[in-house]
Amino acid sequence: MKRPDTAQRPGTARPDRVMPFRRWFLPALMSIATPAFADRLPADGTDVGDDLVVLTWGGAYEASQRAAYFAPFTRATGIEVRTARYDGGIDELRRAREEGAVPWNIVDLEAADARAACREGLLEPFDPAVLVEEDGVPVRDDFDAGSIRDCSVAQLVFSTVIGYDVRVFSGEKPRRVQDFFDLERFPGKRGLRCAPVALLEWALLAYEVPRSQVYDLLSTPRGLDLAFRKLDALRGHIVWWRGGDEPGELLGSGEVVMSSGYNGRFFEAQAAAGAPISLIWDGQLVDHATWAIPRGAKATGRAQAFIAFATRAERMADQAMRISYGPTRDSARRRVGRHVEFGIDMNDHLPTSGERMRRAVIRDSDWYARTETLRQRRFAEWLRAPGVGPCPDARERAR
Amino acid sequence: MQRIALLAAMGVGIGGVASLCAILFVDTVLWLNGATLVSPRARVSLEDRPWLLGAVTVLVPALGGLLTGLVVRYLVVERRSLGPADTIHAVQSSEPLPSVRSGLGATLAAILSLGSGASVGQYGPMVYLGTLIGGLAVRLDLPVRNLRAIAIGCGVAAAISTAFNAPIAGLVFAHEVILRHYAMQAFAPVTVASACGYVLANVVFERPPLFLVSFDGVAHGYEFALFAIEGLLCAGVAILFMRLLLRGATLAARTPWPAPLKPAFAGLVLGLVALWIPDVLGIGRETLRFATIEEAFRLDELMLILVAKLALTVLCLAYGFVGGVFSPSLLIGILFGALFGGLVGELATALGPFAVSHVVVYAICGMMAVASPVIGAPLTTIIIVFELTRHYDLTIAAMVAVVFSNLVAYRVFGRSLFDEQLARRGFDLSAGRDEALLGSLRVSSVMRTDLPTACRGQTVAVVVRRLIEAQASECMLLDGRGVHLGTVRLGSLIDRPVDALVEDYCYDDTLVFDDRTTLSEAMELLRGFIGEAVAVVSSVDGTLLGAAPESAIIEAYLDRVRQLRREENEAP
Repeated sequence: MKRPDTAQRPGTARPDRVMPFRRWFLPALMSIATPAFADRLPADGTDVGDDLVVLTWGGAYEASQRAAYFAPFTRATGIEVRTARYDGGIDELRRAREEGAVPWNIVDLEAADARAACREGLLEPFDPAVLVEEDGVPVRDDFDAGSIRDCSVAQLVFSTVIGYDVRVFSGEKPRRVQDFFDLERFPGKRGLRCAPVALLEWALLAYEVPRSQVYDLLSTPRGLDLAFRKLDALRGHIVWWRGGDEPGELLGSGEVVMSSGYNGRFFEAQAAAGAPISLIWDGQLVDHATWAIPRGAKATGRAQAFIAFATRAERMADQAMRISYGPTRDSARRRVGRHVEFGIDMNDHLPTSGERMRRAVIRDSDWYARTETLRQRRFAEWLRAPGVGPCPDARERAR
Repeated sequence: MQRIALLAAMGVGIGGVASLCAILFVDTVLWLNGATLVSPRARVSLEDRPWLLGAVTVLVPALGGLLTGLVVRYLVVERRSLGPADTIHAVQSSEPLPSVRSGLGATLAAILSLGSGASVGQYGPMVYLGTLIGGLAVRLDLPVRNLRAIAIGCGVAAAISTAFNAPIAGLVFAHEVILRHYAMQAFAPVTVASACGYVLANVVFERPPLFLVSFDGVAHGYEFALFAIEGLLCAGVAILFMRLLLRGATLAARTPWPAPLKPAFAGLVLGLVALWIPDVLGIGRETLRFATIEEAFRLDELMLILVAKLALTVLCLAYGFVGGVFSPSLLIGILFGALFGGLVGELATALGPFAVSHVVVYAICGMMAVASPVIGAPLTTIIIVFELTRHYDLTIAAMVAVVFSNLVAYRVFGRSLFDEQLARRGFDLSAGRDEALLGSLRVSSVMRTDLPTACRGQTVAVVVRRLIEAQASECMLLDGRGVHLGTVRLGSLIDRPVDALVEDYCYDDTLVFDDRTTLSEAMELLRGFIGEAVAVVSSVDGTLLGAAPESAIIEAYLDRVRQLRREENEAP
């Protein structure tokens, strides 16, 4: 049964923090586009005048966030947004919680981490009422199913996909996951990340297993056997990669004709470097980035106002026109246009465009956590088979 | 107008509640499967601790069996599982449903059984859950004719519609298996209830579809002949399965152990086999899927799992686990279908220029061709294929297999396992619902006990006076202990000596009923009978219980038949 996301878990509600927020939230929303908003902050807030600190990932990604969210938020409210560097996981949240001083107001967590942190009580309960309705569609229908959770809201989609060299397949193009395993119709070397991630899911999809059952079947020895048997078909034709930038290079240099890779990296290679790469979105393994508020953070009201601001359709679309990650709500996807710098239509490059999400596998982080050792062991065993491994270390690849 | 609104409201009300209960039922079972490490997804986290996993595998079904046994022993008045057979009986006869307490107890027992991984089905208990809710709605005493049958039909349709995400199948199942007629008065609310179940399951709770297959279509026309052959073979599997189930139940009844220990024993055996073949645990969703993948099983593996699943299902059901037969027969059928498809495929390769479609079509055909004769619902199973796969070719293929399988099974075994179970309880539906109902009514229910009698040793004068006083033309002659001797007719006493003994002018009756004679037997026996009433005597000692006037028997017969016809043609 779908969990009723609105229901806060018993004993987790903290009225002393939530109530003042509700009192000024609606007027705040109405004035959110006007710079005068900051003047109307209530006097009872303990946090007036402070900045907002976001724990996020740095690099081009953070740059897109600054342009699409942080700077406009500051313009609208006068609240400065600072960032702290984050590299995934929930250890930092745990440590801060133990030390009793949480230095951030908002964290940008991967969906799996958000769920784990929520279970451990490291996050404030998320109040879906802060989300703003767009185009007259109720928030729950507008957001992708499962986006709104107890402690977080999913804000963007990134994915692992298969890219192929358009120069090689000038006739019939590979379109489906099956084609990755079909060396007869689509001959040539395959690039794969040397880790038991995505390839097992793809192997089962190639047997026409429905997406909803992939992880259930992979939980059985028979399912894993079946997946590795499918991968056996690629023996002697695999080039392993480790770093996210390698697939683009492998395809560009002609070393492989198809490769798994991250959609963002493929986009950079295509858009910035003009690499002749096209993508198979069928079976893309998607994951979500979420906004969440750490438990014990100051100024939760303001953090909620930021989340409300950053999940508006126009802001989300703005980010998607700077980096190739897809928004999690329909209203935002409808507003996506050309890249602000390269001028190419971003709809061709987002994992969320058109019908792509219908053919996606949502990465099951719970299953990944449970099967960590099993997957590694089975993968290592399989790598020892003739014509398969071993994985190169990163330096060897770079050579 | 008011009646239409009432029927629709009844459909929505019962449908909604039954559907919610069905969702709750399925979710509780799924949760238990996770908590007790029955589902593969839960088992995989113990993968690096094989000893613990093994202990859990053996102990969970055994303890689940013990709990099931205790619940059945202390909460279910009938001390057995309740299922579709009880639903059919309640609807087709006018006898009451088992009590609500029994129904809740049986549902709890089913949750424990399914939750601990017993090799039993989940749809039987869900049908009974729907029946229970329909039965509760009857207590509202709505002004609707045939209320009980319709209310139960609504509950069952909604439960099936929710369980399979298949509203048309739910509707057809309620009519084909439970109601056994298609009167608009029942059809309308049952359809509403079924749609209601679908809306709740699909739109509100967004349940995933039960079974998705992708299939390119039947490649060659001659394969339809293969589907027919497969259907015939599947009938054999279904008949074997049903015969074993009945035999097993008899055998288990003779086992002199305390009732709660029986399912515990079955659970222990199941757990031990599961150490070797984990596919036998639970309803086997994953195995169902693997069977549609050509490379997943070797043929000998298929055979092994098929035999193990069949044997363990019989063991679990016979030895007191509570659950249905449909899910196991789906699994047995799909394994058999995959086996058949595999063999056909090998044969095709061996014979050269002869190709067959993907194994998935044979698997699906086998699944439905084995399951449909077991529950006696060919139409429902064909529609389930259509609704679950939304694939026309696949549905036509399954239809061919299902129809041949049902033909054979019907001739050799009977309409369904449920009907056979009911026949063994004395309610025989094999000659139609008229016969079943009339066959379950005793002629003693219409006999009269106030008719005059005569005793051996009385004189003609006494008896003639008594007959004239009672304005009767005949009476039964008894001996001193009340044992029936024959009939005395007024006509044969006329002009006889007044002090003659009455037994000298008595007729030996050619026709006598006893307390076991049913209404339908009585109607047959009355052919050629001339007289007013037939004696009804005790089957134990021959004493007269009363007399059934011919007119009363005919009246009762006509009433029942008319009642059935009216139910079948009732306008909404």
